[in-house]
Amino acid sequence: MPRLTLDREIRLIQDETLLLGSLVEQAVLNAVDALKSRDAAAARAVIRNDIFINDKRFAIENRILILFATQSPMARDLRLLAAELELITELERIGDYAKGIAKVAEELANDETPVPIREISTMADMAVSMLHRALGAFIAEDLDTARSLPAEDDQVDELYKTIYRKIVQGMIADPSSIDHSNQILWVIHNIERTADRVTNICERIVFIATGELLEMDSSDDELESPES
Amino acid sequence: MNWLSNRRFILPYALIFLVSIILLAVLIPLTSRLAYARSAESGLPPDFTLTYLSVGAVALVAMLASSIASSIYSQRNISVIKQLTVTTRQLGEGKYHSFAIPRQVESVPEMHALSQALEETAAKIEDQISALSTEQVMLSTVLGQMTDGVLIASHDDRVQLLNAAGEKLFGFEENAALGRSVIEVIRHHALVELWNITKAGKSKTITIEIGADHKFLQVIGIPLGEQLPGRSMLLFQDLTQLHRLEIVRKDFISNISHELRTPMASLKALSETLLDGALEDPVHARHFIVRMDTEVDNLTFLVNELLELSRIEAGRTSFEFQRIHPCDLMNKPYERMLLQAERAGLSMSMDCNRDLPTVFADPDRIAQVFINMLHNAIKFTPPGGHIHLGAWIHENMVVFMVQDSGVGIPEKDLKRIFERFYKVDRARSGGGTGLGLSICKHMVEAHGGYIWAESEEGRWSKLFFTIPIASG
Repeated sequence: MPRLTLDREIRLIQDETLLLGSLVEQAVLNAVDALKSRDAAAARAVIRNDIFINDKRFAIENRILILFATQSPMARDLRLLAAELELITELERIGDYAKGIAKVAEELANDETPVPIREISTMADMAVSMLHRALGAFIAEDLDTARSLPAEDDQVDELYKTIYRKIVQGMIADPSSIDHSNQILWVIHNIERTADRVTNICERIVFIATGELLEMDSSDDELESPES
Repeated sequence: MNWLSNRRFILPYALIFLVSIILLAVLIPLTSRLAYARSAESGLPPDFTLTYLSVGAVALVAMLASSIASSIYSQRNISVIKQLTVTTRQLGEGKYHSFAIPRQVESVPEMHALSQALEETAAKIEDQISALSTEQVMLSTVLGQMTDGVLIASHDDRVQLLNAAGEKLFGFEENAALGRSVIEVIRHHALVELWNITKAGKSKTITIEIGADHKFLQVIGIPLGEQLPGRSMLLFQDLTQLHRLEIVRKDFISNISHELRTPMASLKALSETLLDGALEDPVHARHFIVRMDTEVDNLTFLVNELLELSRIEAGRTSFEFQRIHPCDLMNKPYERMLLQAERAGLSMSMDCNRDLPTVFADPDRIAQVFINMLHNAIKFTPPGGHIHLGAWIHENMVVFMVQDSGVGIPEKDLKRIFERFYKVDRARSGGGTGLGLSICKHMVEAHGGYIWAESEEGRWSKLFFTIPIASG
C-alpha cells in the first residue's frame, strides 16, 4: 500500500513538472513573440504570468518534501525526487529568463529600431525545442536523447555568437544605438542561458538512470559576460 | 412423457424386467412344485428354500444387469459431456470453424439437442464477431486516415487511444502513448486545462499556437459521458497552413489597398485642384490632366497585372510551349529593353552560346519574365551601371541570369522579393506595383523551373531562373 502511494505521488509530481515545463516553454515563446510584434501588453502578460510559474514550482517542491518526510524514498526513487527538485529549479530559472526577455520587449515596444528578430526567433525556437524534448526524455527516462541534446547547445551558441557580432557591429557603426543594442544582447544572452539549462536537465536524466553526476558540456560555465 | 419416447434408453431395462418376470414365472412354480413333491415324499412340511434362493438370485442378477446398463449409459453420457466441454472451450477460444461436435452425441438425443444449440450459438457469435470486426476495421481505417488528431483518455488521465494524425502531431507512437498520462502526451498547459474542463462534462473549443514549431491548432474537447462513461475525447485540427494563408491574405488586402489608395489620392487631389479654379487656367489645366492621365495609366497597369497574376494562379493562363533555343528566348526582350536602358544611362550586354540545347518554353511568357527582371534592374541601377544577360547549362536545366550593378537586395529579403507586393524599400521602389517578380515566379514555375536571387548589397544583384531542357 505505501509503495502504491509513493508510485502514484511520483507520477503526479512528474505530471505537474510537465505542466510547469509547458508554462515555461510558452513563456519563452510568448516573450520573443512580444518582442517581434512590439506588443507591450503581451510582454506585460508574460511578466505577470511568471508568478504562476513560481507558485507551481513551490507547490511541486512542497509535494516532494512531504514525500521525503513521509515515505523515506530509497535508491532510485530518492535519485528521481532529488533530480526532480533540481529540475523545477532549472525550469523556474528559465521562466525568469523569459521574464527578462519580456521586460526588454516591453521597453522596446515603441522603439522603431530594427531588431535581428528572425535570428532571435530561430534561436528561441531551438532552445524551446531542446527544453521540450529534454522534459519528454526526463519522464520517459530516455538516456539516448539526454546524451544527444547537449550537442545541440553548440548550435545555439553558434547562433548567439553570430547575432552578438552583428549587434556589436551595429553599435560601432551607430553609437546612438548602444542602449537599444545592449537590451537585445540581454535577450540573446537569456536564450543562450536557457539552452545551457537544458544541458543541466540532461545531466539529471543521466543521474536518475545511472547515479552518476557528470558535466555534459564543459563550456557550460556561469559566465555572465558574453565572450566571442 | 418425454423420457418414454426414448425407447433405446428404456429397452435394456424392459428386457431385464421381462427376462426376470419370465424367469420368476418359470422358477417359482417349478421350485415350489418341487418343494411340495419332496414334502409329500418325506411327510415333512414343504421347504421353500430353493424358491427363495432362485427369486433372490433372479433379483440379484436383474439388479446387477440394470446397474451395468446404467453405468454404460452414464459412461457414455459423461464422455459426450466431456467432449462437449472441450468443444465449448474451443468456441470460447474463437475456433468457430474447427469446432467439432462429437459423433457419440448422435446416440444421446438430449446431448444431440444441446450440441445443436451450441452449433447455432457458434454460428451466431461468429456472424456477430465478423460484423463487429468489419465495423472495427472501418472505424480504425477512418481514424487512421483522418487528418484530425484524436485522443481518448480515461478520467484518471490515462491515454486509451491516439490515432495516426495525433501520433504525428505529438511525436508519440500510439503504443508508447497508451497508458501514459494525458499531459505526457499533449505537453501543453492550455490543452490540459481544456482536458480538465472536458472531464468535468463540458464541451469546449479552443484555438492555440503551440510549441517551438509554432503549430496552430483548433482543439475540441468532447466528453464521452453517455457512450463511454468515464472517458473523454480531444480532437485536434491542424490549422497551421490555413493560418499562414490567412496572414498572406491579410497582407495582400492591406498591400492592395495601399497600392490603390496612392494613385486614387493623387487623382482626387488633381481633380479638386481643377475644380477649385485651375480649370480656368488652360496651361495648368493641361498639365493636371496629363498627370491624371498618367495616374490612370498606372492604375490600369496595376489592375492588369493583378488580373494576369490571378489568371496564372488560377491556372487559367494558356501557354504555347515550343522547342526553342535559349538565345532566341533572350534576344527579343534584350532588344526591346536596350533603348530604355540607354535612356537610363546604363550599358547592356548579352552572352549566349549557340551550343546550348533547346528548351521547351513559351517565348512570349519568358520574354515577359526577362522584361520584368530588366525593368527592375534598370530601376535599381544608378546611371553609368551595367546590366548583363547570361545563359548556361546546369544538369538538365538551362540557367538564365540577369545581373546588374545596382543597389542590391538585403539578404533577409532575397527570398521574399517574389511575394506579391513585396517591396524591399517602399520609399526607393518608386512607381512599381510589386507584382512583377511574383508574376515571373509563377511563369517560371509553370515551365517546371526555379527562380531565385543572389545579391551583395550596394554592389550587385543577380536574378536567376531555370527552364528544363527539351527531352528527346
